[in-house]
Amino acid sequence: MPRIITCYKWVKDEADIKVDTSSRQLTLDRVGYKISDYDRNAIEEAVRMQEQHGGSVIAVTVGPPSAKQSLKDALSRGPEEAYFINDPSFAELEPAQTAAILAAVIKGRLEYDLIICGEGSSDLYAQQVGPRLAELLGIPCATYVNKLALEGTRINVERKLDDGIEKISLPLPALVTVLPDINTPRLPGLKQVLAAGKKPVHNIGLKDLGLTCEVTLNTTGILAATMERRRLRFGAGNEDIRKVVDALLKEGVIA
Amino acid sequence: MSGVWVLGERREQTLELLNAGLGLARELGTTVTAFAIQDQGLAKTYIECGADTVYLLGSLAPEQPLEDYVPVIVDVARQKNPDIFLISATPRGKEMAARIAARLGVGLGSECTRLRLDENKSLVMERLMFGGAAVQTVVCLTRPQMATIPPRTFEPAVPLANREGEIIELPAPPAGKVRVLERKPRVQESVDITEARVVVAIGRGVEKQEDIELIQELANVAGGELGCTRPIAEELHWLPENRYLGISGQKIKPDLYIGVGVSGQIQHISGIRDAKVICAINKDENAPIFEAADYGIVGDLYAVVPQLTRELQRVLKK
Amino acid sequence: MGEDKFTAIIIGAGPAGSTAAYLLAREGLDVLLIEKGASPGSKNMFGGRMYSHALQQIMPDFWEEAPVERPVVREVITFITEDRSLSITCQDESWSRPPYHSFTLLRAEFDAWLAAKAEEAGAVLAYGIRVDGLLMEKGRVAGVRAGTDEMLADVVIAADGVNSIIAQQAGLRKELEPCQVATGAKEVIALPPETISQRFQVSGNGGVAQLFVGSCTKGMPGGGFLYTNKNTISLGVVVNAAALQQNQYRPVDLVEDFKAHPHIAPLIEGGEVVEYSAHLVPEAGLHMMPQLYGDGILVVGDAAGFVLNLGYQVRGMDLAIASGAAAARTIKEAKSKGDFSRQSLSCYQEYLKESFVLRDMEAYKNAPAFLENKRLFSAYPQLATSLASKMFTVDGNQPVHLLGKIIDQLKTNQVGWFQLACDAWKGGRVL
Ligand SMILES: Cc1cc2nc3c(=O)[nH]c(=O)nc-3n(C[C@H](O)[C@H](O)[C@H](O)COP(=O)(O)OP(=O)(O)OC[C@H]3O[C@@H](n4cnc5c(N)ncnc54)[C@H](O)[C@@H]3O)c2cc1C
Ligand SMILES: Cc1cc2nc3c(=O)[nH]c(=O)nc-3n(C[C@H](O)[C@H](O)[C@H](O)COP(=O)(O)OP(=O)(O)OC[C@H]3O[C@@H](n4cnc5c(N)ncnc54)[C@H](O)[C@@H]3O)c2cc1C
Ligand SMILES: Nc1ncnc2c1ncn2[C@@H]1O[C@H](COP(=O)(O)O)[C@@H](O)[C@H]1O
Repeated sequence: MPRIITCYKWVKDEADIKVDTSSRQLTLDRVGYKISDYDRNAIEEAVRMQEQHGGSVIAVTVGPPSAKQSLKDALSRGPEEAYFINDPSFAELEPAQTAAILAAVIKGRLEYDLIICGEGSSDLYAQQVGPRLAELLGIPCATYVNKLALEGTRINVERKLDDGIEKISLPLPALVTVLPDINTPRLPGLKQVLAAGKKPVHNIGLKDLGLTCEVTLNTTGILAATMERRRLRFGAGNEDIRKVVDALLKEGVIA
Repeated sequence: MSGVWVLGERREQTLELLNAGLGLARELGTTVTAFAIQDQGLAKTYIECGADTVYLLGSLAPEQPLEDYVPVIVDVARQKNPDIFLISATPRGKEMAARIAARLGVGLGSECTRLRLDENKSLVMERLMFGGAAVQTVVCLTRPQMATIPPRTFEPAVPLANREGEIIELPAPPAGKVRVLERKPRVQESVDITEARVVVAIGRGVEKQEDIELIQELANVAGGELGCTRPIAEELHWLPENRYLGISGQKIKPDLYIGVGVSGQIQHISGIRDAKVICAINKDENAPIFEAADYGIVGDLYAVVPQLTRELQRVLKK
Repeated sequence: MGEDKFTAIIIGAGPAGSTAAYLLAREGLDVLLIEKGASPGSKNMFGGRMYSHALQQIMPDFWEEAPVERPVVREVITFITEDRSLSITCQDESWSRPPYHSFTLLRAEFDAWLAAKAEEAGAVLAYGIRVDGLLMEKGRVAGVRAGTDEMLADVVIAADGVNSIIAQQAGLRKELEPCQVATGAKEVIALPPETISQRFQVSGNGGVAQLFVGSCTKGMPGGGFLYTNKNTISLGVVVNAAALQQNQYRPVDLVEDFKAHPHIAPLIEGGEVVEYSAHLVPEAGLHMMPQLYGDGILVVGDAAGFVLNLGYQVRGMDLAIASGAAAARTIKEAKSKGDFSRQSLSCYQEYLKESFVLRDMEAYKNAPAFLENKRLFSAYPQLATSLASKMFTVDGNQPVHLLGKIIDQLKTNQVGWFQLACDAWKGGRVL
């Protein structure tokens, strides 16, 4: 019966980000937060595996104290407990640091057979934390996985790569990062949300880790990716369609 | 320090990275080293195209994955201390890069689309974040400075006259814990959507797979190819995966992009940002795609597309 | 609490629902507060200002911890036409001191805070869950249904806002008609705090509330509004939904035109639009009030139509909060009696009368009908602004006395004396 850990990140919802086109500054103070999109697939896959094979699912997240809001959401998706590793300095971690923190927590405290991460986080989309974590833990990993099957003490997976499908087999314990098409995450219902409120959450602070997270990557700037567009609006009437076609002809983009 | 290193999963990617690496090496006054996978001929090509040294990676057993090279590469990197290490951002390349970086304990810029050197000769990398809404600039504080680079970001390096270089063979890697059970190559598609002058993209606004016919007609009249959003390819599998556009899909620069029933989430827009003209058909006047479009048609695609097709037929006399 | 039963289930974490949940939880009752938004407040909106008195009763000095923006120190009413405006301004220094008379605020933050207060007090908060319907048992409300999940309760509070599906399902009210509601559309525009204080000529963190009557609604019943927050301005229009439908205007376009008005544009110049939202406002007053209680159910806030839209005043939040409090009081007593029948819950109506809610709704019950008068939104703003403009214009023409100017203007605006007198009389009585 697999003991599964699933790692998720609480991220700014990029759909709420506004930009000042002239200064290319991002307005981030009014954005909402969400569980990173593909991490919902990671949680779902862990829970499905548990439903199929038994065992346990623990959700782990690293973030600033405000990421506490994510716990109920995460737990309502099925895991039975959560590890919340938080410190005010964890707001803008780079992948190397996140992986180091996760490794420190998992090594010391958790027994596991399988770790499931998302393909990449919706904000950084670095696609690094998973494979880095596997290296730090000294376990095999498989990235870009769209099918998972537990076979005794091994796990067989299908990786979707740019040149085709690769089926590989890994001994447990192992780490996989999953693609969004591996499953469709469930929408938690009322009972699941209520149950989530009663599940245990383990708070772990920076002090408890005895770890200094060295910076290896320095972000020197974040600017909006701007795009100048005309934003002309038309209706669906014949007259309007004709206008659009005329304009496209004038632009010389159709011939 | 031993200059700029490049590692590509395949020939074209290695050549593209070589080109980028040569530029950096020139500015730094250093050498370029490439990795060739199993093939002596490739090693020679890389030298002809500018590499000073090529590490020839030994053969893998059939059940060994490419990622088994990681420990071998880490070993040479530890010995030679490269300044810069560029790896192609194919799925395997991204995994290998992250694992190499973890073993070396260094930073890594993922999927960098621009590289330059600053006044301290440090590598400045630009990459997208927030689904493509923002450009993040990062600098590595550790050595080697590592970056993965998406395929086709740079032009491939070309053969130069009278090139000489050293080929160093590395030992075949011992088998790791992972076993390959099967490889199913992707059926190669004949069209390359990145070359099309006109791309008509379908989104989830298209209700049924049969309805693609309707959009195909529009694409035919406009002289274009069909593209799509990620869910159309990855979840519904209505079109092959190399037809979806966006930050994790294809990046295109056509003259004209027409989005049909595409909401225009930033991750999709990131792939069409460089289109000369963007046209969108969506029934929701608040769909974000209208913010990114030059010509936005607010209406039901099932009414608009046939009209648009007819009108184009008329003016183009097709 | 049994696994699946609460004393009270409250549907909707707006100000009405969260207040009720807070008060009930504080009394140690088992309460469940259910909100459909991804987080409480995430999609809620309003014009921009809350009168403090109601919340002050419940949480004295709430402003010390609540996410409020600016205390309003100046009120402005502006009659506006395409090219003229006439404003009446009132500034009261006491409004800038505790107990602050009213605050501008942003709902996403405020509602999240109030819901968190309820949770802190012991209420169970479930968000991201839409209640689909009520569970009925022998003709009384016995709980709620959300998706495939069912949850029982002694009593349910419908705090689900203007469209209250819940009150409809309980048979306490009918579906809304377009003439009973207005559509509000609003933008939040970011500007540096100093720029805002400077442009509106207030010192420090003082806020301004400004309402507009006239061309901003193209003559349709309704008005424009503008509130100053810390580093944003809330601005928009509210227009009767039936009129909007008839005239085929889109709310977005009305807001765009309003922003472009020469008297508004300089106030928001250089600002970045950071949010656009639209929402309905119940505005038929007492005439749309549903039955407020039934067997095992109470209706609060917008769901009960508790909004006063007087043209110079828009109130809903204070009424929502006070009605939530009255509902909590009712339930507390019902709990001690162990009786949640219609009869037992009927004192809700009494408590609403005792508080200001029903008293004020009663006092202004004729305002909605009066405010349907089209002259208020086109002829009178024309009249007032052109009259004022004449008064201030010196152009070398022969002077006319004030009365003459009025007569003149009435003629050009085709409003009869008698009509004007009638409207003024009516307005004075109902507003
Ligand atoms: C890390 C990450 C990476 C991603 N990478 C990519 C990527 O590379 N490429 C990509 O495309 N997506 C990507 N996505 C997904 C992306 O966020 C969106 O979910 C996706 O692009 C939405 O696809 P859509 O527009 O087809 O569907 P929807 O968002 O569902 O939009 C459908 C639209 O159709 C309209 N519509 C419906 N019916 C009609 C009708 N009859 N007539 C007209 N209009 C109609 C609707 O109004 C709606 O706007 C990524 C997401 C994440 C988190
Ligand atoms: C444009 C505009 C301007 C306004 N200006 C002002 C002003 O300046 N001052 C003022 O005091 N008032 C103003 N109001 C009125 C004020 O916003 C409302 O009176 C007040 O919000 C009512 O509070 P409520 O809690 O009853 O309802 P709401 O605030 O509407 O809250 C209802 C909650 O229920 C949730 N919900 C709905 N259905 C369900 C369901 N089935 N399941 C679960 N949850 C559900 C909703 O998501 C929402 O969170 C304005 C309103 C508008 C639209
Ligand atoms: N802060 C975090 N806490 C827990 N898991 C994380 C965190 N950041 C990233 N991950 C995991 O690592 C994956 C890849 O993230 P990234 O390398 O940032 O693209 C995510 O899909 C998560 O599964």
